[in-house]
Formats: sequence, structure tokens, C-alpha cells
Amino acid sequence: MRSIRRKTEAAFGALLAAGAFGCREPPPAPLPHGSSPAPVRGGEMHLASFGDIKSLDPAVAGDTLTGEVIELMYAGLVDFDAQGHVVPDLAERFERSDDGLVYRFFLREGIRFHDGSPVTARDVKRSIERTLHPDTPPTFSAFYDRIVGFDDYQGRRADHLAGVVVEGERVVAIHLREPDASFLAAFAMQNLRPVCPSAGDRYDDTWQPCGAGPFKLEAWDRGRSVRLVRFDGWWQPGKPYFDALTYTYGMNMSTERFKFERGDLDVDRELLLADIFRYQGDPRWKPLGAYDAAPSIGGEEMNVEIAPFDNVEVRRAVACAIDREQIRMVKPPALTPLYRVLPPTLSGDDPSFPGQKYDYAAALEHMRRAGYPYDPATGKGGWPKPIVYVTYKQGLVEYTAQVIQQQLARIGLRLEIRMVSYPTYLAMSKRRGTVAITNSGWSQDFPDASDFFEPIFATAAINDEDSNNGSFYSNPKLDDILVRARKELDPAVRKRLYDDADAIVCDDAPWAMEYLYRYYGVHQPYVRDLAQHNVWSNYVRDAWLDKPPARTSSARASVRLAPRSLLGSILAVLE
Amino acid sequence: MIERVLKRIAWAVFVVWATTTVTFFINNVLPSDPARMVAGPQARPKDVERIRAQLGLDRPVLVQYGRFMRRLMHVGPSHVDPRDPEHGSCANLGPLHVDLGKSYQQRRPVVTILAERLPRTLLLAVAAVLIQTLLGVLTGLIAAAKRNTALDHFTVGASLVGISAPTFIIGLLLQFVLAYKLRLLPLDGYGDDLAEHAMSLVLPALTLGIYGAAYYTRVVRDELITAVKQDHVRTARAKGLGVVRVWLRHALRNALVPLVTLVGLDLGALVGGAIVTETLFRWPGLGALSVTALLDRDGPVILGTVIVSSAGIVLANLLVDASYALLDPRVRR
Repeated sequence: MRSIRRKTEAAFGALLAAGAFGCREPPPAPLPHGSSPAPVRGGEMHLASFGDIKSLDPAVAGDTLTGEVIELMYAGLVDFDAQGHVVPDLAERFERSDDGLVYRFFLREGIRFHDGSPVTARDVKRSIERTLHPDTPPTFSAFYDRIVGFDDYQGRRADHLAGVVVEGERVVAIHLREPDASFLAAFAMQNLRPVCPSAGDRYDDTWQPCGAGPFKLEAWDRGRSVRLVRFDGWWQPGKPYFDALTYTYGMNMSTERFKFERGDLDVDRELLLADIFRYQGDPRWKPLGAYDAAPSIGGEEMNVEIAPFDNVEVRRAVACAIDREQIRMVKPPALTPLYRVLPPTLSGDDPSFPGQKYDYAAALEHMRRAGYPYDPATGKGGWPKPIVYVTYKQGLVEYTAQVIQQQLARIGLRLEIRMVSYPTYLAMSKRRGTVAITNSGWSQDFPDASDFFEPIFATAAINDEDSNNGSFYSNPKLDDILVRARKELDPAVRKRLYDDADAIVCDDAPWAMEYLYRYYGVHQPYVRDLAQHNVWSNYVRDAWLDKPPARTSSARASVRLAPRSLLGSILAVLE
Repeated sequence: MIERVLKRIAWAVFVVWATTTVTFFINNVLPSDPARMVAGPQARPKDVERIRAQLGLDRPVLVQYGRFMRRLMHVGPSHVDPRDPEHGSCANLGPLHVDLGKSYQQRRPVVTILAERLPRTLLLAVAAVLIQTLLGVLTGLIAAAKRNTALDHFTVGASLVGISAPTFIIGLLLQFVLAYKLRLLPLDGYGDDLAEHAMSLVLPALTLGIYGAAYYTRVVRDELITAVKQDHVRTARAKGLGVVRVWLRHALRNALVPLVTLVGLDLGALVGGAIVTETLFRWPGLGALSVTALLDRDGPVILGTVIVSSAGIVLANLLVDASYALLDPRVRR
């Protein structure tokens, strides 16, 4: 009985593998598009995701998916352009004092919230205080702890945030207690964006989301979809271009593809590996695909307080033993080998930077220096005990774990992979003295080099629980450079300081850097100007739809004749 | 009789309480941090600490349990204001309040979330059980009646395929053929009006129905084959009753007794949500909710779904017991 069942299951597996669901079929042709030379207004954009959003209040939103919607509903005084530079948005201009302690923002004239009320400097201060109030569930409040009066406000010793000063109806200044070159980038994030007066000055779960962005909320069906419509009071004339935009959530990835190919979705960013290959291998679709520019880095995090990784030579051996090209082959379309901490968007991709490179002979030499020489011919030597490697069940990392296991076995480090759930992995890997080695990653919060060092390599980021510095690595020299770099206002000097920091981390190797992860997506040809943004994923603020009129009418006709619609009509009549 | 019913109800309440309590403690002893899941993997430790305090997760587990049980059912004002910090997350029947707390992730009352999801899951569960029962009884009857013929072998073989194939395979296959290729049905979702709800229900219900029917076919077939050999069936035939009448009235009725148990248990289990099917078809029921809650360690939602699931199973068992009395006169005695 069991063997029959196995055979049946195998048959189904073979059926799948043979492409019964279209895996091996070439993708259908892209849908037709118009030929408008300039952006046209109108149409509705459809996007989907397998995830779900949890809140539409910028004060508490922190995940990427929610950020896509927040970016459309709420405008900040400043924002990022596609390259990651901070540019004015609701503010027509901003200035920084020479000592770097005051940032002053001048609001545009006539800007309004979705409820019609004007956006004033008082609203900016109210919104900032609302987000940073101690009763608000915090997400990234630590980004703003250098604002004057932050500690008093969070500690309930002050009713207002002293460092945010209203200097006029349209002028607001933010005072810092020390220079912070990363402040502007952190300020361009979404949490402090102005919210309508109806939000009040304290966070409330029951508030109806309302901002001053290019789109306003029409409907939010929790767990299912969000529909936004164009805000006609948006400050940029003629923008945005879509009439409306619908996000659908909780959608299975194969269903996303089905819907994308028939035109029910305009963009598909959540592709199975096989589908990425299908689209990339098809000349009709290749020009319609692109990588997200926002970087995430990945690597092996070694706990410097647990043997054998308390020995810097062992960590260096690991950094040399990892063949990043082999790792890349786990998911070639999404991974790019990474040899240093900073992604190319921030480091400038300097090929002369030494970084961490695959060098098997050097890896064996580091093991010898560590006192654990390993003989590849006999397989003898190395670290005498198995090392528990904690990871979680998710396609990429469970596969890279196996490659790492094989690569480190070649230098005498025998990993024993222990698979746990993601929440357990998070708790364990951030608890002191618990995990010796694990895979780890870091996604850019905002495009500044400080974001890739301070949270994960600074001594101040070490905690007994919830330690973002999961390698528990501490180096006073690195700490000193990071403090200086944060205060340094000269970009060239700053870059040198972060290069120095990068070199220290690569040499001390609390992490063995491995890859840069990027999402790949495709869009229908009628979606125009879909920018690959360096910070916001699925950035559609400037996109427009160029659909041929004929297609719309024929599509409508075919829908009318479809049996689905006939049956649907009958049921509608019954209702 | 009344004493027996009261005992069964008391036992049912105990089972639900015990299940909830065990779930509460398991969820709390797991090496994971719901505050971290709320804050996100990159949140800074101070923010995680504040969220933990705001959610009351920094208190001892027994204190948290005491608070949960105290708030689960209590007396409060007859009108609930959503902004009321004390009773804003309650559902009430007059002054009697039920409070499962607020979802850590969605920051909404769990009773509200369950009230949205439960009807959709019930709809799917009932539709699926109806399909699997009708299909299972029909194919089981045919297989038994045509025993050892090609039709019997085909039916048994098809049921084996149905049992072997996981629901996501059946679901994907149906979705690909009926929705993607033939465009007869929506690919997924729930729809916005009654007509769309009905259309969207077909694929998930059919997926669960086919999977369940495969079991029922084999059960009904085997039970019928045993039943037709019984003395009373032979007697009925000897008295001159027609084959169809004998099979349907005398054999099938007896064969249905074990099937009723299965139907009851399946219905009860489906009330907790069909996790894979709901996720595949984006059916916004309890199954999809519970899997998300589990992945996010959203304690209040996990407990809410467990209470509903266990209550569903317990209630289904009570109904099964009651239905025995209808099918089998000996039980009534």
C-alpha cells in the first residue's frame, strides 16, 4: 500500500516536473501596448504579493511591503530619488547649518492633506511627536535619538520634543545634539511623515489612515487588498498618472504568475526561480525585467564569544574557504557575490578593495595558525567537534547552509545543520552565548554606510537579548571610526572612514560576506517608467499605463462572453 | 438523559479550556520573541524592549495567563466603544464580554478578526463536506455494487490517487485547468458580492471535496460490501424487495454510521481552517489566519483560532453522538 502511494506521489511529482503547470512552456507573449510618446493620465495599476500589510499608519509601519503603500499615501518633507539621494518633497528646500546641528525645512505653499486641510509646520511637529511618543509602538525610533530632547520626551519628562521647532507657518527646524551625517537619510524614511489632523497627537489603532501623498486610501480590506485613488491635490502638476492602484495580498506565487500573464496584474515581482529563468530566457520578456536596486547583504555570522570562532584565525579561515561563486549558483538570478560589507551602491564598487576572497590555500594556512591544522588528503585534523549551525526553513538559506557545510568541511570545520522556525532562529541568533555560527542578512534601512555597520558590528549594538550584533564582535578601533564617520560632514572623508571600517571588519571576519540579494521582477510592456529605486521597492510613483484602446474593448467583450461571467450574472440575478 | 447531556457539555468546556491552556503555555515557552516579530528583524533592541513592555510580554507567564483567563469572559458595559482602553477589544452580549485581546501584528481585536473570518471558513467547510460526502457515497456505492469489475478497480484506483495527492497538488491542477486555461472560475480570492463569493468558493471546496471523497469512497465501499452480507439484508431480499431499495434502505443506512463519524470529525477539523487550501486560493478564512499567526508568533490570534477550532471539533463530536441516535435505534435505548 505504502509503495503504491509512493509511486502515485512520484507520478505526480514527475507530472509537475514535466511542466504540467506550464513551467517548461515558454511564457505567453507580452500583452500589447500603446505608443504614446509622453505620459498619459488614467488607468488602474494592479499589483500583488504573497505577504500582507499590517498597518497603514506611518508611525508603526516598518516592513518593505507596507512601505510600498506608505510611500504612495504619505509624503515626507524630503524623500529619496531613484539613486538614493535625498531630495525635497513636501519641502521646497532644506538647509543644514554649518556645524551640522540644525536642519531647516521650508514647506511648499498650498500643499494639502487628503482631507483638504493645509499641511503646516505645526502638523510636521505634531506628526513627529506622535511617532516618537513613548506610547506609540516603536519601529525605528532609534534612528532619531540624536534629536535634542529625545531622551526626555521618550522618558516622559517632557511633553514635547524640544529639538523640533516650528519657526513659522511653513518653516520647521530640527536641532540635533551632535552632528549626524546620516540624519537626513533617516529623516527621509517614512515613519515621521506628516499625517492628517484627524490622527491627533497620539497614536491610535482605530485611526483612518490619511496623509499628504500622491494617492489616498479608498478601501482597505484587511488581509485581502488595498485600493488607492489619485489625490488631485498633489503638489506636482499632472501627477500622479494612474487613476487608481490596487494591491492584492496573500496571493500564491503561481497564481500571481497566472494573473500576470493574462493581464490581471501589471507587474510580477515574486517569481519562482524557474519563472525567472523563463522570463530571462525569452527575448520578448527580457527587456521587461529588472532587478530591484535596494540592496540586502548576506553572509555567515560567527559568534566571536563561542569556540572555535573566538579565534580570529578560524574566522579568517572561514572567510577564505567560502567560494562565493558556488554560493551564487544556489540562486543565480538573485545573488551577486559580495566580498565586503558595503554593497556597491554605497561603496562605489572599488575593485582594488582587498575584502574577503576565496583562497583555499590561505584558508588552510589560517587553520594551521589557529592551531587546528587540517590535512585535505587524509581528512584528519581541524576542529575536533561538530559545530551546530542554526538556520531556518526558507529556500535560499537552507540551500546555502548545505553548500557552506561542504565548503567548511574542506578545512576541517564540521557543521551540524539545525533547522528551526524563523521566529526561533531570530530569538536564538540574537541571544548571547547561544549560536556559534548561522547565516545572517541585513537589508538597507536607508542608503547610508552607517546603516551597514553600526547596527551589526558596533559594540553599542551588543545586547544579551535581541542583539543586532549577533556575532557579539567588539573592536574599539572600529567603534571610534564609526563615531567619527557619523559626525563627519565631508562626504569624501566619510567614504574613506567607512572604507577603513570595511577593511577592519573584513579582516576580523565576524561575518564571512557572501552575497548581495536582489529581487527580479517583470512588467507588462504597457507599464512605462517603472523606476528601479535604490530605496523603495515596487516604486510606481512616476509610472504610467500605455494601453492600446482596442485591447481594452476586446478584452471587455471576451469577458462578457466568458462562461464565468454568464454564471456570475445568473448568480448576481439570484442575489 | 439530561444528566448525560450536561456531562457531555461540561466535558466539552473542559476540553476547550485544556486545549487553550496547553496552547498558551506552549506558545510562551517556545524560544521565540513575539515582540521581535512585531518590531521586525532589524529593529533596534530598545524598540523591541518597548514593544515587549507595551504588549505585557515582559511579565511572568503565569501573570499573563491569569490576565488572559480573567479577561476571556467578564462583565462590562453593554455598549463597547472601540477606543475604550479597558473594553475596546471585547465582543459583548449585553453586559457579558468576551475578550481575546488584540492581535500583536494587526493591532485589532481578535474577536473582530475571528468574526470576519469564521463565516468564510464555515462556508468553505460546509461546501467541502457536502461535496466529499455526495461524491464519496456515490462512488463508494458504485464500486460496491460493481464489485470486482473494471469500474470497481477504476473507482478504487482513482480514490487511491485522491488519497495520495496532497491538496495543494489537486488544488493547483484544478486551478490550472479550470481557472487559468479554461477561465471558467476565478483563480483565487473571495469576491465582493454573493455571486463572486459563490464562484470563488467552487475551487477550494472542490479541492477539499475531492481529497475527502477519496477516503469516503473506500469507507462506503467496504462498509457496503460487509453490510450486504448481513442476515437482515439477505432476509429483505428473500422477502422480495428490489435490489435498489435493499441497497439504499437497508445496506447503505448501516454503512453510513461510520461515515457520519468521519463527516463530523472532518467538519470539526475544517472549522479550524484548511490551511493549505485557504492559502493556495487566498480564501480569507481561519486556516490562512492561523498559519500567519503561527509564523508571526501572534499569541492572541493563535489562541483565538485554537479556541474556535477546538470548539468546532467538540461541537462536531456532540452532533455526531446525537446523530447516532437517529441512525441507530439501539443507541436511543
